[in-house]
Amino acid sequence: MGYHWDWAVLFRAVPTGETTYLAWMLSGLQMTVMLSLSAWAMALVVGSLMGVLRTVPNRWLARLAAGYVEVFRNIPLLVQLFIWYFVLPELLPPALGTGFKQMHPVAQQFLASMVCLGFFTSARVCEQVRAGIQSLPRGQMHAALALGLTLPQAYRHVLVPMAFRLIVPPLTSEFLNIFKNSAVCSTIGLLELAAQGRQLVDYTAQPYESFIAVTLLYLMLNAIVMLGMRQVEKRARVPGYIGSGK
Amino acid sequence: MISIRRVSKFYGDFQVLADCSTEVKKGEVVVICGPSGSGKSTLIKCVNGLEPFQSGEIVVDDVSVGGPKTDLPKLRSRVGMVFQHFELFPHMTIAENLIIAQTRVLGRRPNEAMDKGLKLLERVGLTAHAEKYPGELSGGQQQRVAIARALSMNPICMLFDERTSALDPEMINEVLEVMVKLAQEGMTMMVVTHEMEFARKVARRVVFMDEGRIVEDARTEEFFGAPRSERAQQFLSKILHH
Ligand SMILES: Nc1ncnc2c1ncn2[C@@H]1O[C@H](COP(=O)(O)OP(=O)(O)OP(=O)(O)O)[C@@H](O)[C@H]1O
Ligand SMILES: [Mg+2]
Repeated sequence: MGYHWDWAVLFRAVPTGETTYLAWMLSGLQMTVMLSLSAWAMALVVGSLMGVLRTVPNRWLARLAAGYVEVFRNIPLLVQLFIWYFVLPELLPPALGTGFKQMHPVAQQFLASMVCLGFFTSARVCEQVRAGIQSLPRGQMHAALALGLTLPQAYRHVLVPMAFRLIVPPLTSEFLNIFKNSAVCSTIGLLELAAQGRQLVDYTAQPYESFIAVTLLYLMLNAIVMLGMRQVEKRARVPGYIGSGK
Repeated sequence: MISIRRVSKFYGDFQVLADCSTEVKKGEVVVICGPSGSGKSTLIKCVNGLEPFQSGEIVVDDVSVGGPKTDLPKLRSRVGMVFQHFELFPHMTIAENLIIAQTRVLGRRPNEAMDKGLKLLERVGLTAHAEKYPGELSGGQQQRVAIARALSMNPICMLFDERTSALDPEMINEVLEVMVKLAQEGMTMMVVTHEMEFARKVARRVVFMDEGRIVEDARTEEFFGAPRSERAQQFLSKILHH
């Protein structure tokens, strides 16, 4: 097979001449990072809230949160993305719907992608938060209430902070997943890292270099997240705490 | 101060408390004992509304615990409670454990709360451990922190749930010392314990529970002199001679 390796292709100018292929790839990387981080922030906030609701002593709220998880966890990510991007704007009240459609196309793609990834991941975060809270001894809630804290205060100061410390490892893998899942958003035209990789193949006809470069960039993101989360894990460690007791 | 009238509680079909009645007057210490699973912890958790009950009434300082309009957080903030497993908050330092409710519930300023917390730590002999985490302390030390945490709220009465399984004697002593002192200062206390020495020393009455019932509720000297029920006799001879 006579494949002609040519790494210099990355530094060659794109057809319009104004920038290089490498710059395309880096702008894809930037898009992937922005999208993933904003969706992650959203997933943490919404997921924590829902995770708490899953455990509150109110059957209706708990059921509502359980239904939420089922919906967002069981519909394929790609289908969810199409719903957010293609279907929902049509169903919104006209003012909102046209407002969305009048936005810059990239902003439309980004917004739909962020909301989609955010909700999808929040359902998974929710389950981790629920598991973390439920793994705490029942007495912790009792102790908080016995001191006169209200139920929201007990969650806010006692249960949630401790639960988060216990679930750092599974949250790390959700955080990593969101970067990988963000590649799905190329299907609605968002030029994130995977999409830029494909574009490079089309323009340069050097598929190996393009995909290897994309792969390396994803691996690099992965490594950075892992290192960062290891620091978080270190800081979250509770001195002297062994397991969850009973 | 605490009045429990004909309280019954069920977990599904299982009756944990059956028609329990007793009373703790201001300044009195009442010890509750009985075999494992007899409902001692459940009973004292009903007193500050941590466990709901299906019938009967509990009144604490003229407030009905199960009442529909009762401000439970407020009531609980006035009733100190020490749990069987202490339940210190593991992610907070000892100092933070002592401060959290003072600032969040009573609205004390942080430095005021800290002063109070440190004073109480001194009282239970743990000043040196303020910056440690609960997991770094021994069981007896944790229990004393739990007592200090409850006292930080200036409670009108205290509920103690002691671990009944054998602990090392040293630990029992360091904790009992604190509790005896509290009793002597006139704190109203309801204490679940198998430490009969403690009961002899400070308790006005001893309540003996078995299978969710209050089988015996007698003055301390009567209880130790001649328990009326056979179950109490058996129980006493078992724990006094082991
Ligand atoms: N949440 C619960 N659901 C169902 N049953 C329970 C629950 N909590 C306690 N029980 C049962 O209620 C009974 C009384 O429990 P409780 O903890 O009050 O006993 P105890 O007298 O404090 O025992 P110990 O001396 O071992 O602490 C036990 O049989 C226990 O299994
Ligand atoms: Mg108990």
